[in-house]
Amino acid sequence: MRLPAPATARRGMLVALLLLWELVPRTGLLPELFLPALSSTLAVLWQDRQIYSAALLVTLYEVALAMLIACGGGIAAGAVVGGIARLRELLLPVFSSLYAVPIVILYPVFTAWFGVGPESKIAFAGIYAFFPVMLSTAAGIRTIDPQFILAARSMGATLTQQVTRVIIPASLPTVFAGLRLGGALAIIGVVVSEMLTAAAGIGYLVTLNRTILDSPRVFAALLMILILSVAYYMLARAFESRMVVWQSAGRSPKAAQNESAGVPVSVAV
Amino acid sequence: MKILLARLALLALVLAAWELMPRHEIVNPLLLPPLSDVLAMLGELLQRPQVHLAIGVTAAEVAVAFLIAVPLGAALGVLIAENEYLGEVFKPVLFYVFSIPKSIFLPMFILVFGITFAQKVAYAAFTTTFVVMLSASAAVESVKQDYLLVARSYGATRMQILLRVYVPSMMPLLLEALRISMIFNFTAVMIAEMYASRAGIGHLIAGWGENFQMRQLFAGIIVLATVAILFNETVRYFEARCSTWRT
Amino acid sequence: MQHVAHLDETAIEVANLSHIYAGAQGTVPALEEISMRVGSGRFTVIVGPSGCGKTSLLMMLAGLRAQSQGTILCHGRPISDPDPKRVGVIFQEASLYPWLSALDNIEFPLSLRGARERETRQQRRARAEAMLRLVGLEGFGERFPYELSGGMKQRVSIARGLVQDPPVLLMDEPFAALDEQTRMTMGHELLRIWSTMLKTVVFITHSLTEAVYLADEVLVMSARPGRIIDRIAVNLPRPRTYEMMATDVFGQLRDRIWQQIRKTP
Ligand SMILES: Nc1ncnc2c1ncn2[C@@H]1O[C@H](COP(=O)(O)OP(=O)(O)OP(=O)(O)O)[C@@H](O)[C@H]1O
Ligand SMILES: [Mg+2]
Repeated sequence: MRLPAPATARRGMLVALLLLWELVPRTGLLPELFLPALSSTLAVLWQDRQIYSAALLVTLYEVALAMLIACGGGIAAGAVVGGIARLRELLLPVFSSLYAVPIVILYPVFTAWFGVGPESKIAFAGIYAFFPVMLSTAAGIRTIDPQFILAARSMGATLTQQVTRVIIPASLPTVFAGLRLGGALAIIGVVVSEMLTAAAGIGYLVTLNRTILDSPRVFAALLMILILSVAYYMLARAFESRMVVWQSAGRSPKAAQNESAGVPVSVAV
Repeated sequence: MKILLARLALLALVLAAWELMPRHEIVNPLLLPPLSDVLAMLGELLQRPQVHLAIGVTAAEVAVAFLIAVPLGAALGVLIAENEYLGEVFKPVLFYVFSIPKSIFLPMFILVFGITFAQKVAYAAFTTTFVVMLSASAAVESVKQDYLLVARSYGATRMQILLRVYVPSMMPLLLEALRISMIFNFTAVMIAEMYASRAGIGHLIAGWGENFQMRQLFAGIIVLATVAILFNETVRYFEARCSTWRT
Repeated sequence: MQHVAHLDETAIEVANLSHIYAGAQGTVPALEEISMRVGSGRFTVIVGPSGCGKTSLLMMLAGLRAQSQGTILCHGRPISDPDPKRVGVIFQEASLYPWLSALDNIEFPLSLRGARERETRQQRRARAEAMLRLVGLEGFGERFPYELSGGMKQRVSIARGLVQDPPVLLMDEPFAALDEQTRMTMGHELLRIWSTMLKTVVFITHSLTEAVYLADEVLVMSARPGRIIDRIAVNLPRPRTYEMMATDVFGQLRDRIWQQIRKTP
């Protein structure tokens, strides 16, 4: 027997999962309280679409600001720490020690400081996502092939030109990878903090409906978060592979196709 | 050596700022109590039986969840690393799993287990398994094929290959996998306790935060952070030692 | 436009150059009392055991690293900073920028000067394209480095080194990463380009065949600290052909270099 192609297998599993989600509660294998059928989940999602889209907007707003903090701060801090050897030796070990601390224990501090509104979520998720962005930016700058800089110097590049024309484009792949991770963590951070203490947002809808045992509405919120995170990840991936085709593309024929079609893949800085 | 001193100086600076800024009302002492007040509260808290109990509960949850997640995740990780087909099917999925907030599944665990010890353990083990799985498969793949080839050509048995090739060459990576898994595991237990619980340090911290008991809250954070950092550094120390005899 | 070379003119003059690296575990004397003269338009090859300081010497000739002692003159003026108008450098790893197309890579040095010089974008492009043709890669300009073979990458790299039209070209094992066949072709190509452009070339290699095939003169360096222990003139006629490799003269020259290198501890 031949096994189906991996991608086909994955699609098959997804379909099976969705079918089970519908059939298991319908046939009474599990009570609707534990697992409401997919159709009832979608039905309440449609019925309460105004509530859910308002909540989604709140969540997206918090995620966007958290990402701004994490990405802006992370890239700036990472560039400084990665670029200056002294600072790197001093701080990188400190950061990797601090990395062990579960940041979620700081969330009560943020609610005490900023209240239960969006500010505490933004602060928490911003910090939660800051570290990976910073660390990968630092790594991106540190791992640049020294030959690149040597070659630039031999061609007469000034220090500024070395930074803008070589160091920045060369570190982009790692920085993008950090941004992808940072964005995912910003979503996670916002959802977690909304679930813990909040008055709005999709995470809040999860918790609110859980306490009143309204399972279809819990699952509706859960489904939205799932779609949000997966969609973000796919978008980030697609964006990344377009921006830095040259990095991963050595093997992929798709990249070569893009290139020959004249898609501007080189990163203009 | 010099760098160590510089780091200590940095730490001292942070701690001094924490002490002096609230003392001189540069920041509101109600929001950030001076370090000395927090430390005094810490000493007091560590005397309370209620706190001892909470530490015990949390420690037990962390330990049991870890003991479940590590063998389970390791087995799955080896499976997807060794079996090419399963690897191709599941590895891309794993990356998506990482971008999903696992906390959204907490309500399901509560529905199934109630707000109990088992629920915390199950949730933490669930999230940690993915982490162990990914790092275990990475560790297995790091064993270079040529090591194995050399070992086989000398006529090593499967058991010898496992003990002499896999384990030593994977040791630092295995330790790192355990370390990172533990960080996630600890985080998961904290989230579960803060979300809904009647016991444990996470429960206490969430309560202190809600009631603006900032001294208690910061004392709790200091304890948790210290434990996490100490654990992390200990494992890193062994990691470093393994790496030196490896190369 | 083109630099006119007079064979009796001195392109590079190195006098009493020594270099000591100060590392964490003490100092490493890398070069000792190097003195050499490279005639303008001449092809000079440097060989020597691994770690003897060839790359270090080249870096100093390029102004990329400062020597501890001694002087380097290039067409009569001292070298202290990289000066792409006087000296072009080609490295072992092609070190092309992977985010730029072949043509953009070649144009890169021109775009650096761009601000300082009155040359339009079209003129720069035209020059880069001319270089691409010169190295035989017409039609490959839009390709990215990952889409080029090792030999093609090295051709782009040579084009990039030549585009500013420096009279002196320094090459550090440029073909070392290539397979034997590509390497032979590249050597041949390099000679073709060199003969049309009349550049002064200083070329480092580990391949004795390559050394004899390319050189007007071979300098042999000793193990660390590197000194120049022999100068061997290669008087084979030009243009060189593959058939020459089978001749007795060629073999004798190669043997002589090998004897010199073998002597060094
Ligand atoms: N930046 C540096 N700091 C300290 N020592 C160095 C440095 N660069 C090179 N060296 C040392 O100087 C010596 C000469 O190095 P160099 O790279 O010039 O040799 P090489 O002749 O080019 O060797 P190879 O043939 O292997 O390329 C070596 O022993 C090397 O370890
Ligand atoms: Mg060298």
